[in-house]
Amino acid sequence: MIHLDYVTILYVGAIGLLAIGAAGLVICNNFFRILLALVVLEAGANLLLVLMGYRGDAKAPILGFGPDGAQMVDPIPQTLVLTAIVIGVAVQALAVSILVRVFRSYGTLDIRELKARFEHDIAVEMGIEPPRGGEAPAGGRIQSSGPPNFRPPESHS
Amino acid sequence: MNGVVLPVVLPLLAAFLMQPLAHKSGVTARLLGPLVLAIGLAMLVQTWHLAQTDPFTVTFGGFAPPLGIVFYVDRLALIFAIAAQLFTLLLWGWSMDAQFDGEKKAREDALMLLLAASATGLALSGDLFNVYVFYELMAVSSFGLVVLKDTGPAQIATLRYLLISAFGSVIALLGIAFLYAQTGTLNLAQLGELAPKALHGPAGLAAFAFMLIGFGVKAELFPVNTWVPEVYAVAPARIAGLLAGLISKLAALVVLRLLVVVYQDTPAPQLLLVLGTLTVLVGDFSAWRSKDFPRMISYSSIAQLGLVFIGFSIPGPLGVLAGLSVALHHLLIKSGMFMLATRWSGSLDRLAGCAKSAPVATGLYLLFALSLVGVPPMPGFWAKLLIMTGLAQEGSVVYLVALGVVLLGSIVKVHYLFRFALKLYGRADLPPVRHSLMELGPAALIGIAIIAATIFTVPIGERLRAVAEQAADRDAYISTVFPDHKTAAVSEDRR
Repeated sequence: MIHLDYVTILYVGAIGLLAIGAAGLVICNNFFRILLALVVLEAGANLLLVLMGYRGDAKAPILGFGPDGAQMVDPIPQTLVLTAIVIGVAVQALAVSILVRVFRSYGTLDIRELKARFEHDIAVEMGIEPPRGGEAPAGGRIQSSGPPNFRPPESHS
Repeated sequence: MNGVVLPVVLPLLAAFLMQPLAHKSGVTARLLGPLVLAIGLAMLVQTWHLAQTDPFTVTFGGFAPPLGIVFYVDRLALIFAIAAQLFTLLLWGWSMDAQFDGEKKAREDALMLLLAASATGLALSGDLFNVYVFYELMAVSSFGLVVLKDTGPAQIATLRYLLISAFGSVIALLGIAFLYAQTGTLNLAQLGELAPKALHGPAGLAAFAFMLIGFGVKAELFPVNTWVPEVYAVAPARIAGLLAGLISKLAALVVLRLLVVVYQDTPAPQLLLVLGTLTVLVGDFSAWRSKDFPRMISYSSIAQLGLVFIGFSIPGPLGVLAGLSVALHHLLIKSGMFMLATRWSGSLDRLAGCAKSAPVATGLYLLFALSLVGVPPMPGFWAKLLIMTGLAQEGSVVYLVALGVVLLGSIVKVHYLFRFALKLYGRADLPPVRHSLMELGPAALIGIAIIAATIFTVPIGERLRAVAEQAADRDAYISTVFPDHKTAAVSEDRR
C-alpha cells in the first residue's frame, strides 16, 4: 500500500497542473486558451517550488506559528515564488493587452488563421510573392476572412 | 565597488523618472537616457582595471554570499556589461522626425533603459534567482520594444514571442526548482561547490536541460527559436539588432556560466553541442531559402548563435575563447547589419542595383559579409578557426560531425550572402533606397571597429585569451565568492 499523506497529494497536484498546462499548449488552437494553459503551467511550477522547501510538521518561517520546538519551513522557496508570481502576473497582463489589440486588428484569435494572415501581410510589406496553395490551411477560411481584394504585388519591369 | 552597481541602478531609476520628466520638459527627458548610459559606461570602463588581475564580488545589504546576493565581477562579466551599455547607446532611437511625440518617445526611452539595466545586471549576477529576475525584466522590456510599431503583424509576432518566452521562463524556473531541491542553494559558487556530489547525476542534468531550453529561448537555440524571424522582420530594425546582437549573447552567457561553474566534467556539453549543431543547420539553410533581407539576416543570426554554443561545448579555456570570440564578433556584425536593414527592409529583388545609389551601405554590407563568412585576415576567420581547432582537438565522433556541419554551414553562408551581394551590383529596376546619416553612422562605426580588429588581431586575441582563462577557472570562481572555503574546494577538486 502506498501511504498517501497530503504532501504527496500536493506533489501529484503540482505535476498534474504541469501536465495539464503542457497538454493545453500543444492542443489548443486559440491564443487565449494557450495563454490560460500557460497560466496553469506556471501555477504548477510555482506550487512545485513551494513544495521543495515544505515540511508538514514544521513551523511557519520567521513568525513562528506552529508547534513549539519544531523546525522551520525553508523560507527561501516561498520568497522566490512570491517574486515568480509577481513576474508571471505582469507578463500575463501584458499578454492580454496585446491579445486585445490583435483581436481588434484581425477579429480572430485562431492560431492557424492568424498565421496565414501574418505570412500574407509580411510578404506584401516586404514585396515578395505571398505564400499560397500548399502552405495555407485547407478549407475556405482564408478566402472568407482574408483581405477582400487580394492582388499579387505589382511586377516591376 | 559602486562603479559596478550604479550602472544597473541608475538606468532603472532614470526609466521610472522618464514619464514624469517628459511631462515637464521633453528635451531633458530625451537627453536623460543617453546621459545615464554614458555615465554607466564610463564607470564600468574604470572598473576594468580592478578586475584585471583578480575577479572580485560585490555583496548587497551586508549579508555574506550564501544568504546574501552577490555580483560576480570578472573580465568576462565586465565585457558584456560594457557591451550592454555601449550597444544600447549605439542603437539608441535618436530620430527627431516631424511627428515627434514626446510622450511616446519617453516610453520607448524608458524601455531601452530597462533593457540596458537588466542586461548589465544579468551579466554581473552571481546568483541564479537574480539571473532569472533580470532575464524576465529583459524579456518584458523587449516585448514592449518589439510591439512599438503597433501594426497588425507586429502584434501577432510579439504575442507569439511573448508566449514562447513565458513558456521558456516557466521551464527555466522548473530547472531552478530542481537545482534548489537537490542542493538547497541558488548561489552559483555554492552550486559549483556542491555540484560534483549533488548535481552530476541524472536529476542534475535534467535541471540543466530545463534551464538550457528556458534560457535558450532568448539565445535562439534550436527547438525554441521559431519566434526569431517573425519578430526581427516586424520589429524596428534597431530593436532587432539589439535583440539579435546583445540580448541573445547575454542569454548565452548564462548558459556558459552554468556550464563552467556547475556542470564541468559532465555530459552536459554534449547536449549543448547537439542542439548547437542543429541550430547551425536550421539557421543556415533557412537563411538560404529566405527571400527578404531582414529574415535572411535573422536566420543567419540563428546560425551564428549555434556556432557560439558549439564553441561553449568544447571543454576548457579554448572552448570559452572560441565561443566568446564568435559571440563578440557576431555582436558587432549583426548590430551593423540590422542598422543597414532599417532602409533595406524589403525583398532581396527589390534591392537590386543598390550598389550605385548607396555605395557606402553596400561597402559596409560587403565588409560585414566577408567577416561573417570568415575570409582570412578578418576577425570572423580567427573566431571560426578557433572553433574548428577546438572541435578537431576533441576528436570524438560527435565533435567531428559538428565540425562537418560548421564547414557545410559556411559554404551555405557564402552562397546566400554573396548571392545578395551580386544582386546589389546588378541592374537597378527600382528607385534607389538611401540611408539617412543617423542609420549609417552606427553601421560605419561598427565597420571601423571590424577593420581595427583586423589590424590589431594579435593584441586583441591575447586579451581575449586571458579573459577566457579567467572565466573558465571554476576554482577561482568559488574561492572568490567564498575566500574561507578556498582550501576545501581546491583539495576536493584535486582528488
